[in-house]
Amino acid sequence: MAPSRTSTPTQWSADFDTSRRERLFRNPPRDHTAYPALVDATQPHIQSFNALLGNGQLLAAAIRDIGTKSFLHQRPEANAAAAQDGEGLEPAQGNRLSLRIREVFVEKATIPPANKYSTKNREIYPAECRERHATYRGKLRIRLEYRVNAGQWQESVRDMGQIPIMLKTNRCHLENCTPAQLVQQKEESEEFGGYFIVNGIEKLIRMLIVSRRNFPMAIVRGSFVDRGGTYTKYGMQIRSVRPDQTSQTNVLHYLADGNITFRFSWRKNEYLVPVMMILKALVETNDREIFEGIVGNLGSQGVENTFMADRVELLLRTYKSYNLLGKARTRAYLGEKFRPVLGVPDDMKNEDVGTEFLRKVVLVHLGNVDVSQSQDIDKFKLLLFMIRKLYSLAAGDCAVDNPDAVSNQEVLLPGFLYGMLIKEKFEDWLRSVQGACEDWIRTSGATFTDPGFLRDFTSKILRRTNENIGSLVEYFLSTGNLVSSTGLDLQQTSGYTVVAEKINFYRFISHFRMVHRGSFFAQLKTTTVRKLLPESWGFLCPVHTPDGSPCGLLNHLAHKCKVTTRDLDVSPIPRLLAGLGVSDLSSASTDEKVVVQLDGRIMGFCAPEQAHTIADTLRYWKVQGSHDVPVELEIGYIQNSKGGQYPGIYLFSQAARMIRPVKYLPLDAEDSVGPFEQPYMSIACTDNEIESGESTHVEYDPTNILSIVANQTPFSDFNQSPRNMYQCQMGKQAMGTPGTSLRYRTDNKAYLLQTGQTPIVRPPLYNEYGLDNFPNGVNAVVAVISYTGYDMDDAMIINKSAHERGFGHGTIYKTKIVRLNEDRSKRSAHAVTKLFGFAANSHVPAHVRAKLDADGLPYIGSQINEGDILASCYTVTWEPTKHGFINRDGQNELHKYKDPETAFIEEVRVLGSETGNEPCQAISIKLRVPRAPVIGDKFSSRHGQKGVCSQKWPAVDMPFSESGIVPDIIINPHAFPSRMTIGMFVESLAGKSGALHGLAQDASPWRFDEDHTAGHYFGEQLRAAGYNYHGNEPMYSGITGGEFAADIYLGVVFYQRLRHMVNDKFQVRTTGPVTQLTGQPIKGRARGGGIRVGEMERDMIIPGLGCVRVAGAF
Amino acid sequence: MSREAYVAPTSAFNTGTTVDPGPGLTTQYICGDCNQKVLLKQGDGIRCKECGHRILYKERTKRMVQFEAR
Repeated sequence: MAPSRTSTPTQWSADFDTSRRERLFRNPPRDHTAYPALVDATQPHIQSFNALLGNGQLLAAAIRDIGTKSFLHQRPEANAAAAQDGEGLEPAQGNRLSLRIREVFVEKATIPPANKYSTKNREIYPAECRERHATYRGKLRIRLEYRVNAGQWQESVRDMGQIPIMLKTNRCHLENCTPAQLVQQKEESEEFGGYFIVNGIEKLIRMLIVSRRNFPMAIVRGSFVDRGGTYTKYGMQIRSVRPDQTSQTNVLHYLADGNITFRFSWRKNEYLVPVMMILKALVETNDREIFEGIVGNLGSQGVENTFMADRVELLLRTYKSYNLLGKARTRAYLGEKFRPVLGVPDDMKNEDVGTEFLRKVVLVHLGNVDVSQSQDIDKFKLLLFMIRKLYSLAAGDCAVDNPDAVSNQEVLLPGFLYGMLIKEKFEDWLRSVQGACEDWIRTSGATFTDPGFLRDFTSKILRRTNENIGSLVEYFLSTGNLVSSTGLDLQQTSGYTVVAEKINFYRFISHFRMVHRGSFFAQLKTTTVRKLLPESWGFLCPVHTPDGSPCGLLNHLAHKCKVTTRDLDVSPIPRLLAGLGVSDLSSASTDEKVVVQLDGRIMGFCAPEQAHTIADTLRYWKVQGSHDVPVELEIGYIQNSKGGQYPGIYLFSQAARMIRPVKYLPLDAEDSVGPFEQPYMSIACTDNEIESGESTHVEYDPTNILSIVANQTPFSDFNQSPRNMYQCQMGKQAMGTPGTSLRYRTDNKAYLLQTGQTPIVRPPLYNEYGLDNFPNGVNAVVAVISYTGYDMDDAMIINKSAHERGFGHGTIYKTKIVRLNEDRSKRSAHAVTKLFGFAANSHVPAHVRAKLDADGLPYIGSQINEGDILASCYTVTWEPTKHGFINRDGQNELHKYKDPETAFIEEVRVLGSETGNEPCQAISIKLRVPRAPVIGDKFSSRHGQKGVCSQKWPAVDMPFSESGIVPDIIINPHAFPSRMTIGMFVESLAGKSGALHGLAQDASPWRFDEDHTAGHYFGEQLRAAGYNYHGNEPMYSGITGGEFAADIYLGVVFYQRLRHMVNDKFQVRTTGPVTQLTGQPIKGRARGGGIRVGEMERDMIIPGLGCVRVAGAF
Repeated sequence: MSREAYVAPTSAFNTGTTVDPGPGLTTQYICGDCNQKVLLKQGDGIRCKECGHRILYKERTKRMVQFEAR
């Protein structure tokens, strides 16, 4: 069929759509993917990476924040003069070298220019990196500018190594590939990227939960009291985020006497400053302005708040003791104190250091580069607001903001973290140049002004520094460890990256929707952080979290939840707000005035009654799209309440927020809602629940709250909720179809289900996410009956004939790499010490020759067992006279296959180097291990009902129904009463009628109710097909032929085969290796060890079994 | 576990041989990019002669591969 001219449709129904899917599979679309939902799933990863160099230009913002670094070198006589001078150094005493980074470039992956052989295509595609076990990376370069004293800026483009590149981003060759092109490039037709390839392993940076940016949060924390004598538990914390997405947390502490200190952490150390000092340093102000800014003008209700007025008075009075008058002197004082930690040049004036301090540390979201006076006023105003909120928190007038609720959280996006890391490495490198310069000066005895300096600067001095930032970034990705001098304002140092395992597609896609709370919280004894809070509704899936230690910390985004990756254009908002009556007049009394903030900037204040109108108006405008209000703007309107959250209107427009679509009723249009505003909105779940005059929004679909994987559980509303959680786990462990490009993958272990099917019973989302491309199990005829006794205790019986027809057949692909140069530091082609093959004149035994080809590599298709030879190599030395390698010892080194299982050689890859001139130093052998189901293998339905195969029962002895149906699987009825997985019964009914009528059954939750039950709906379908309404059938014993006394529940259920198989687990030994020291059997299955009979097992054997005789053995 | 690979009919290889130190054994591989056949000697740089691709696949053996079907 010729590719159609029309655009590939992207709407999917709940039907099987077999021919449509088959056509898509044969002719991958040449315009766009047929599954846009799948592409959306990884957008937070991809767009955040794109923001580094694309529209967001985060790296450009980062180098602006780094600014110019200057190093001073003093002549000795100047030093002596400076020592006598108390107040900083005068300028022009010594020579100054200034450095700045002007531009950052990241290139796509290409082969190095040293390779002269590749003429056609010099691009490196991700598939090659997977196959070669290499890293998919592109060159990182910067334009460095430097000058000595006030001379001309000179520039040099520096090569900073190669940084790993995220797939399908703007630095990846696959960015805009159509499915057809992706297939050409040996990718999945639905490849969606979002991960890196490091040493052939797919790695991704996982999303982390961090506090919401630019919002002063009221915190009560017992540990604050331990900070010092008068400290109390009250604090006001703000995570202030710079335009380059790095953050700086500022905290105000309330002291018992009413004072307030400002705390921040800088390069992993904590510092405390009286808040009044910062206020006075920010702007030229006076005590009255500060007092009125916190309490309110004379005549306002705020003045009547004596609690606050008293404390502000005290705040002002205690500060008098510093005797610092005016902005300049305060800044100079701060500058003097913080000079040692800020890394500023020695000749900078104290006042300028103070300015630098305010720029780098205080409320950085309001201005961090070339801070203008109005930005300092913004900082001043926000600080006043924070003080006011802190006092009302201490007075008990406002409630604590819960840092564990999603409403006060946002997502640390992978690309942003990557950018933060690169920024820090740039800064570290710039600092390291100073050391290299000093070395040069010491050895040469010259100064910066010598002509030799500029000559040597790029060629010798910069060479001495570690310019290979790429390898540092690669280290971060491959280990997940953050090596950082600043800590990046984060709470953990490891666990940032995970392997994107492709056990099956559910597992793979889940990685990209996963949000972690942070490994810091994993050690916490309290369970408060793990709680499922109502604020999470629609943003984090309530079902999809693992059980056990990461429970509640490792969550997954609801499938319709998006994460913003760019800052919106909110320039018209201040004007609009002013038009709506927001003014500068404020008051400590929230009954009089409430605050209006936009991204942590005080826009002004308004009366509480006005606030309601303003919020409603803005919302109407943003959904309507009028007045240039972007629809993704979050309008957090917190109403006045007694002792509730501090009221006001808080607008958020920046990146990293979670948002989700809901329908806005007044306009019948899509609104996007964020977690901060959601608790204060009335969103109906279904159309029936809309209350006139109350509901403003309605959900598009109640299933929007579930994650992609949780949505695949059929009839999950019928199940007890933990069973749905188990299914989310087991769905990700099933042997399924990792993809169709399996040939070009080199996973250490890949699982493949040979006979995957599309489930008869599935939600419409199954098609929307294109899961038919990755079947995850098989439809099985399941009888719920206690038969033979082999189905006790969650065991299940498999029909032997079904097994022989391929039921649950699977394969494991293992990849073994044989490397000759373990020490990869040696680069030159002549450093080769070993080659694959057989040494000339060496003797090769017959059993080796039978397994290996003449090149020393195994025959493809051959069978290998434990101990067989996989490859042969020999040592060589370079012989310049013969211009070749020669072997001297005539010995062959054999590499053995050590696994205990029989396998077949599937593929042998001979891996070359990037330069294309090195002889073979590594091969990658893919082995195929056939894994037909055996007794002891694990299976499960999609309802958290797992079981182990206990017998393959001959079909003749299986029970059969009146229509002659013999079940594929028998499970025990006792699996149900305590687990209450009614969803499995409904699936069985629906599957049976679906199979009989040829229907794909919609299994979405919340489609049935008491008046319209699932049992009736599917029962009638069964009746129409001539079957029992209840799903029971008379069955006959396969052994006696007699009818059972009871009718048997027989239906079709989708079964998954889990990857836990006995062949990987059994541990048996009679005799074997023992430990030298004690003579006891060694530990460990891999080494042929035994299983310890511990004291509890001993306790059981001696009295329980009456084996007094064996007691001596213990 | 006791299954054994089909052993090819008797040839010079089967009795344990001494490797011929001839002018260099060539083996045929398949380019991972353009599917060309690539002949390589031991010690040659690994690349496709046509397109310069850096991954070569070993060809499937011409020997009979047969296993006991059970």
